[in-house]
Amino acid sequence: MWSQILEGIKIAISAIRSNKLRSGLTSLGVVIGIAFVIFMGWFLQGLDFAFEQAISTLGTDVLYIDKWDWAGRKSWRETMNRPDITLRQCEELTSRMQSAEAASILARKWNATVKSGSDNYTGITVVGANSVYADIAAGVIKTGRFFSPVEDMYSSNVCVVGYDVVKNFFGEGTDPVGKELKIKGVTFTIIGKIEKQGSMFAPPWIDNQIIIPIKSFLNIYSGSNKMMKNISVAIKAGGEENVENAKMEAVGHMRQIRKLQPNQENDFAVNESQAFRDNIANLRLGVWAVGIGLTALSFLVGIIGIMNIMFVSVTERTKEIGIRKALGARRRSILFQFLVEASSLCFLGAIIAFVLCSVVMFAVVRFGEVTFLTPYIPPNLLIIATVVSIVVGVLAGMIPAMRASKLDPVEALRYE
Amino acid sequence: MSTSSEHEQPMLIDIEHIAKSYVMGEETVHALKDISLKIRKNEYVAIMGPSGSGKSTLMNILGCLDTPTKGSYILNSNVVSEMDDNELAEIRNKEIGFVFQTFNLLPRYSTLKNVELPLVYSGMPSGERKERAENALRAVGLGDRMGHKPNELSGGQRQRVAIARALVNSPSIILADEPTGNLDTRTGDDVMRMFEELWLNGNTIIVVTHEPDIAAHARRVVRVRDGVIESDTINEHPVSAIEKAHEVELSEVAA
Ligand SMILES: Nc1ncnc2c1ncn2[C@@H]1O[C@H](COP(=O)(O)OP(=O)(O)OP(=O)(O)O)[C@@H](O)[C@H]1O
Ligand SMILES: [Mg+2]
Repeated sequence: MWSQILEGIKIAISAIRSNKLRSGLTSLGVVIGIAFVIFMGWFLQGLDFAFEQAISTLGTDVLYIDKWDWAGRKSWRETMNRPDITLRQCEELTSRMQSAEAASILARKWNATVKSGSDNYTGITVVGANSVYADIAAGVIKTGRFFSPVEDMYSSNVCVVGYDVVKNFFGEGTDPVGKELKIKGVTFTIIGKIEKQGSMFAPPWIDNQIIIPIKSFLNIYSGSNKMMKNISVAIKAGGEENVENAKMEAVGHMRQIRKLQPNQENDFAVNESQAFRDNIANLRLGVWAVGIGLTALSFLVGIIGIMNIMFVSVTERTKEIGIRKALGARRRSILFQFLVEASSLCFLGAIIAFVLCSVVMFAVVRFGEVTFLTPYIPPNLLIIATVVSIVVGVLAGMIPAMRASKLDPVEALRYE
Repeated sequence: MSTSSEHEQPMLIDIEHIAKSYVMGEETVHALKDISLKIRKNEYVAIMGPSGSGKSTLMNILGCLDTPTKGSYILNSNVVSEMDDNELAEIRNKEIGFVFQTFNLLPRYSTLKNVELPLVYSGMPSGERKERAENALRAVGLGDRMGHKPNELSGGQRQRVAIARALVNSPSIILADEPTGNLDTRTGDDVMRMFEELWLNGNTIIVVTHEPDIAAHARRVVRVRDGVIESDTINEHPVSAIEKAHEVELSEVAA
């Protein structure tokens, strides 16, 4: 059997080589089909990767108790009418939480203006949080440290800064620890720098944030009456399996704090980073639908092209088939020979597609600065594409190969 | 080779009341009408007859390329007339070596690969295959042409490659349909000398020809006409192709 396979492959290679241009043109449909499969898979993998990365920056086991829903069916008017979540309520909730690993008050000031010496930048997100926020969703501290519980309690004017903040103020790669920033006229000393987190699906501000103790935050932004309009709580459940528990507990506490009656709906939102998964699912589906459609179309063209050329090949080689049969080739030997030839044509297409895709991918990643995509074909796609090409070859070659295998040897030998 | 020892040889071909007809639209062509023929091992038979008499049709049936419409054919105790396509392929591979008028070599293959081909289909491992093909090519005097493609060889050399290919499987019969038809007299004689050597080595040879000169080498002559056997005779005075070649050589040396 192995010698037959080897023989089939050798015959196929010599047949393809003797007709290089024709073989190349024939496999064009397959080239396009395989290229689609590869690009689609590549893009989806990149998408998933970027998305998972984004989710993990938000924390896969983190709940956000907030006024606003991130995703869902609630009408805008309904959420507008919800009461703001006050500092008192937040403090109450964080102190009551028991099942969770950590809970931090969280407040954000969007589009803040920050100064350093004579430089000043707008569009920065200032985040106020507790020291435990370090374990929740602050990202990885690259240099320096996060602020301590003591600094948190005494509202020290220290801050932890994101990647882009450092880049903009001090230049990429600078160690910012010890340097100072002015937020609303108040000077903060940088004590830590967060590793770069940004990717396609991460919130765009993620690298452009400054995290300061919540009390310092409120000092700056809520003025003398200490009334910040709306703040929220971030709760780290401690493992995805604990999320449901933590969620139930948090909802229970909040309803008590808010004194809701059993028949009243929650007047606050419980957000999970998981909620984003629904959004991405639609995008994925879209890419798949378009990709599958185009792939199927190009494979159809490819199959027809290869089938056609295989019929030509069988006719051209009628005499050869007659000779082989006279010498003892059985039907299945001939069938096999032509199936291998068709599959080899497809495999040739796959190889051309691999080369083409590799070049394009490298160029896209290199010059397009697309960080979430790999600059090479993922190995599992190589395997899939190879298998698909061989299956397509067998499909396309089956009918011509059957015709060849059933030729009458006497008739075939007489063919000129 | 004495006549008495010939009769002790086992029966190789046993054909009884064979007919072959082709349906062509309205009419039916009866290529073979009623043929019975027995051939023993190590016979040297020429099948003669005018064009269209049914020689090639008979040859195809003898060579298991085709099955008769009627009658029975037993080859080396295999009932060929009842075999299907794949069984026929197997029996061709094992029992028959073909030599065709137009050589029928595969043009893209080297002579060595061409000769290996029957062994490929008998499933022989490639090392052994190559060795046997090389030996067969040496036996026909083409040991130095193994890597050549058919179109780099003369007609006579091509036919010798075809003979090597026919031999390589050690078949029970070598069937040749007009083997000298595309060759000049000199190379034709060369091919006939080769058949004679094979015959002397114990092979069974059947040659289809319409040339009396070629048939003169055989020890038995079967004449076919209009799809029936007209005569089946022992050639009392066979012309030895080997001796003839010697004479030619001597006369050339003299000249
Ligand atoms: N496939 C076929 N279909 C129809 N008729 C056929 C077929 N093959 C052979 N015949 C007919 O059968 C008869 C015998 O043909 P065959 O080829 O056996 O003759 P032959 O003796 O070999 O002749 P030649 O010496 O010219 O080769 C002829 O009349 C031919 O037309
Ligand atoms: Mg003929």
